[in-house]
Amino acid sequence: MSEMSDDDEDVIHIIKKDKVIQYGSLEEKERQRLANTGSSGSLANDAIEAGKASGNINITSESNQFEIDDDAGQAEALAEFNKRKRARQIQVSTDDFEVKARLRENGEPICLFGEGPAERRERLRQILAQIGADAIKKRAEEKAAEAKKKEEENVTWYHEGSESLKEARLWLANYSLPRAKERVTKQKLEKNIPATQQNAKLQELHKKIRSVTNDCSQIGDNRPLSFCQFSPNSKLLAVSSWSGLCKIWSIPECEMVRELRGSHNCNVGAIVFHPQATLSLDDNACCMASCGQDGTVKLWNLVSEEPIADIEGHSPYRVSRLAYHPSGRFLGTCCFDNSWRLWDLEAQDEVLHQEGHSKPVYDISFQCDGALAATCGLDAYSRVWDLRSGRCVMFLEGHLKSVLAIDFSPDGYHVATGSEDNMSKIWDLRQRKCVYTIPAHTNLVSYVKFQPQHGNYLVTASYDSTAKIWAHPTWTPLRTLAGHEGKIMGLDISPDLKHMATCSFDRTFKIWISETSETL
Amino acid sequence: MSLSRRESDDFRYLLEKSVKKFIGFSEPTLVTAAFDCIDRGYDRRKTVDKLTAILDNNQATKFTDIVHELYEDFRIGSRGRSKKRKDDRDDENDNKRRRKFKMLLYVLYLQDDEAPVNVPAPGNPSPGQLTTDKIKEMMANAQKLIQERKTQIQATIPTKSLATIQPDNTTKVFMNDVASKAKRAADLQAQIQTRLSGMQGLGPVTPAAQSIPLDSKPTLILNDQGQTIDAVTGQPVQLSLHTPTLKANIQAKRREQFKGLIDKPPEEISESKFFDSRVSGKGAFRPKRSFKFNEKGRFEQLANRLRTKAQLEKLQNEIAQAAKKTGIASAAKLATIAPKKDMKEGEVPDIEWWDSFIVNCEHYDNLDLKDDQVLTGVTNLVEHPIQMKPPAEPTNEIAIPVYLTTKEREKLRRQNRTESQKEITEKIRLGLMPPPEPKVRMANLMRVLGQEAVQDPTKIEAHVRAQMAKREKAHEEANAARKLTAEQRREKKIKKIKEDTSLGVHVAVYRVRDLKNPAIKFKVEANANQLFMTGIVVLYRDCNVVVIEGGPKQQRKFKRLMLNRIKWQDDKKRSKDQDGSDGEDDADKLNKCFLVWEGTVKTRSFSDIKFKACPTETFAREQFKKLGVEHYWDLAYSGAVLEST
Repeated sequence: MSEMSDDDEDVIHIIKKDKVIQYGSLEEKERQRLANTGSSGSLANDAIEAGKASGNINITSESNQFEIDDDAGQAEALAEFNKRKRARQIQVSTDDFEVKARLRENGEPICLFGEGPAERRERLRQILAQIGADAIKKRAEEKAAEAKKKEEENVTWYHEGSESLKEARLWLANYSLPRAKERVTKQKLEKNIPATQQNAKLQELHKKIRSVTNDCSQIGDNRPLSFCQFSPNSKLLAVSSWSGLCKIWSIPECEMVRELRGSHNCNVGAIVFHPQATLSLDDNACCMASCGQDGTVKLWNLVSEEPIADIEGHSPYRVSRLAYHPSGRFLGTCCFDNSWRLWDLEAQDEVLHQEGHSKPVYDISFQCDGALAATCGLDAYSRVWDLRSGRCVMFLEGHLKSVLAIDFSPDGYHVATGSEDNMSKIWDLRQRKCVYTIPAHTNLVSYVKFQPQHGNYLVTASYDSTAKIWAHPTWTPLRTLAGHEGKIMGLDISPDLKHMATCSFDRTFKIWISETSETL
Repeated sequence: MSLSRRESDDFRYLLEKSVKKFIGFSEPTLVTAAFDCIDRGYDRRKTVDKLTAILDNNQATKFTDIVHELYEDFRIGSRGRSKKRKDDRDDENDNKRRRKFKMLLYVLYLQDDEAPVNVPAPGNPSPGQLTTDKIKEMMANAQKLIQERKTQIQATIPTKSLATIQPDNTTKVFMNDVASKAKRAADLQAQIQTRLSGMQGLGPVTPAAQSIPLDSKPTLILNDQGQTIDAVTGQPVQLSLHTPTLKANIQAKRREQFKGLIDKPPEEISESKFFDSRVSGKGAFRPKRSFKFNEKGRFEQLANRLRTKAQLEKLQNEIAQAAKKTGIASAAKLATIAPKKDMKEGEVPDIEWWDSFIVNCEHYDNLDLKDDQVLTGVTNLVEHPIQMKPPAEPTNEIAIPVYLTTKEREKLRRQNRTESQKEITEKIRLGLMPPPEPKVRMANLMRVLGQEAVQDPTKIEAHVRAQMAKREKAHEEANAARKLTAEQRREKKIKKIKEDTSLGVHVAVYRVRDLKNPAIKFKVEANANQLFMTGIVVLYRDCNVVVIEGGPKQQRKFKRLMLNRIKWQDDKKRSKDQDGSDGEDDADKLNKCFLVWEGTVKTRSFSDIKFKACPTETFAREQFKKLGVEHYWDLAYSGAVLEST
């Protein structure tokens, strides 16, 4: 027994040893070597054995080789399967034109002899499978590089305008500077008025505003009314409609004076009066201007039902709004080709074609001095331009969505914007910042208008079918004008401050007055 | 013909010998042809006919005679000799493929018999490749024979050819002789060609097996040092080695040589030879592992450090956000002109800053417009400013997902599945995949397993049941693998609720008359949290303002909560009942919630939902003013004031 156990232990011992040894068992090799030397039949045999053992003579077994071959074949077949699978997963358009375009993109012939659309598509699929993912990656990289290049190219640059532009600008400078001087001196004087007196005045005004009610309502057309404006003498109201017609209504009777028959064949965006029309300007002269969706701009007098002139150069782009320069000599138009234009009506010439917005320009407003113009666009930014130097003097950034309305305050340095994000912002040009944000409505703000001449309040119109009146320095809501059944598209305050008009999508326009006082 | 395999091999051997004797070199085609004739039992005449395809008429008859004689002899003596050549035939056990390969090489070689003798086969010169070695040797043998044959032919040429070398002979003769030589060489080549073609026409004989010259057994072998030694004596033999000519090969060889030199270990100390380098022993004992105790509070400290770091990062982020909000970055980007000094609110300047750039003076009073030189700023330049990308526009295009109709979806699925099934079948057919075992159920077991099922039904049933269980398990497992984990499911839900507000946040402002009821307060807070919305709730007497930010969908849900789901009036009634005071004095005083404003802004102003109880109006406004959104409060509060008056 004891011997047996000893043997066992021995065996175990050997196994343990094996664990320690790193490669192969030396013992066996040694034994082999010994056996070889012992048997040593012929020297050559011995040498052969030794050669075999040391790996200099290799006798490969055939089966092994076959296996390797088979493995290679298998790998090949599997690769082929994978390739087919990849090709299957690639989506290729069924549109033959697109297939051809893709082929051309990859530098392949777009058509082989006797090849139909199906075969072509299959060929494209094979090619795409071959090129694989790196082609897509490469394209993305190229795109990024292109975008970067574009970004680098995007810098401010200037080009020289025509001689007429220089002339017009000089004229504008000579016109605006005395007005600015006058305005500033007036403001300085106003500043000297004691605060209590000013406050009392404001209180009175607010009281008046709080009593604003609907005076009359009139159906303006059988299509939505897009815009309305009082004549400078406050006796007329021009209303434009989506039917393509513009109508002139008498105020306060609200009776139709004239229908401008030879109007546009499409939605009319706006109709505006010349600043001196019905005042010092002859009725036969060019008193009104209207613009349409097809890019037509027409000029009207106060006598005829037909336009006296057309301004061409916008079509096929829509002209959304237009405005007269305070001097009446120039007309600014907003065009959907991302530009706004300045037309010299005396010279009957386009003096300025101004780019700068990255999306259509929607509204334009001129400063009371005639020195600046403010434009807003669907790119959610507004810009203030100096008409004399042609430079963008201020960039109004703050809205999130399209800015649809912009208006200069009569004080000459406040600008109000109304946007699709339901907010209205007040900008101060002197401080160069947004001084207040009015969360004005629960739908987009379609129009903003300061009180004419004084600028003591701001009226905003919205697609939530209300218009709201906000006090100027505090921006508190004074009054909500509710009554329309549809979105309010346009609004105006008469220059004599007696009336306020709103026109709406519900095809009516309404006149609002203050109950307690003559003026607003 | 009744020759056994061994016999046929023996006979072939003899035939080869005789062919060699007959034409002076071994010609396997001839051997094959002759063997074939004998093998098929052709008589003399027919054999001659066959052999004329390779040999001349005259030679053919002679050779036929020889062959037949040989066969007669072989048949008589075949019994006693089989053992003698056993060693020689060892190599014949090589498989057909290899023979074919050799044959191919051999044939190639015959076609190209003008080639220099000592050209070794290109490719791998590995000493281990027994086959290639053999091939080489065979080639060498054949070449030698051809050389001999050539010299014979040369010898038979009359002395004239020798004379041509004499310098006094005319060049014409020399040319003639060269021409005749060339002609003869061409003849020889043509003859071999024809023979080869004849062999091809011989019929369905596989010449591969017969083509090996059996005496081409290797006589050189390698010993353990890789030296070539003589098979008999065991003495090393010096072979002319093929030296590599390619630069890469030369370099490789040189590297090998140097490697030997460099890698040679330095002379060891005398002790080292007692160590067997092949053995890498481990240490006799392992080091003792002791306990490692951490000091108390160490990990706490670590955690605290991490916490403070995270807090700092958050703070920095906030600062960066604030900086962004002020718009410093965007303002710097624009090349606009700026006023020379900052204005305060309500201040009236001497000259508007935009005018000061035109006229270049500091006061309107100093302005003299009659002077042409005053208007320095007026130019005829038209500016093209930098075009800014709209803020709400996504940077990269949104790919509109294509939705298929039910029919289209089904069709696509069907096609894909057939395609993948086809692939699997093909793989099985090509042997790339093991075929699936037959799918047996209790119902089809007899049909599928047939005989086996009859023999041992119990075992088979067990087998079938096991297979069914396995199938079911696999199915369940696949389902489980597809399932989202609890974590993933939660994330998915959150993702669904949370909306991307990077391009604009929807904000809503509500005003509530009375928000004292804790149940309602809880509802508001819980809903805001569950919808992952941010905002603030300011509690101030009769004007409780709820400002909430989120995506459009979240806002819709919250709006429904505030305006429809919470019954504000009920709450008021209850509190009144408790008070027992004036019942229904006026409907206006009932609790109500108003939507003051809703719209979009660029960025969030709040980081989470907070409740603030404010004692005064100014304090409440301050809460908003801190974040630059005081207009929310102004609007809501003014609404409340208007309502109360």
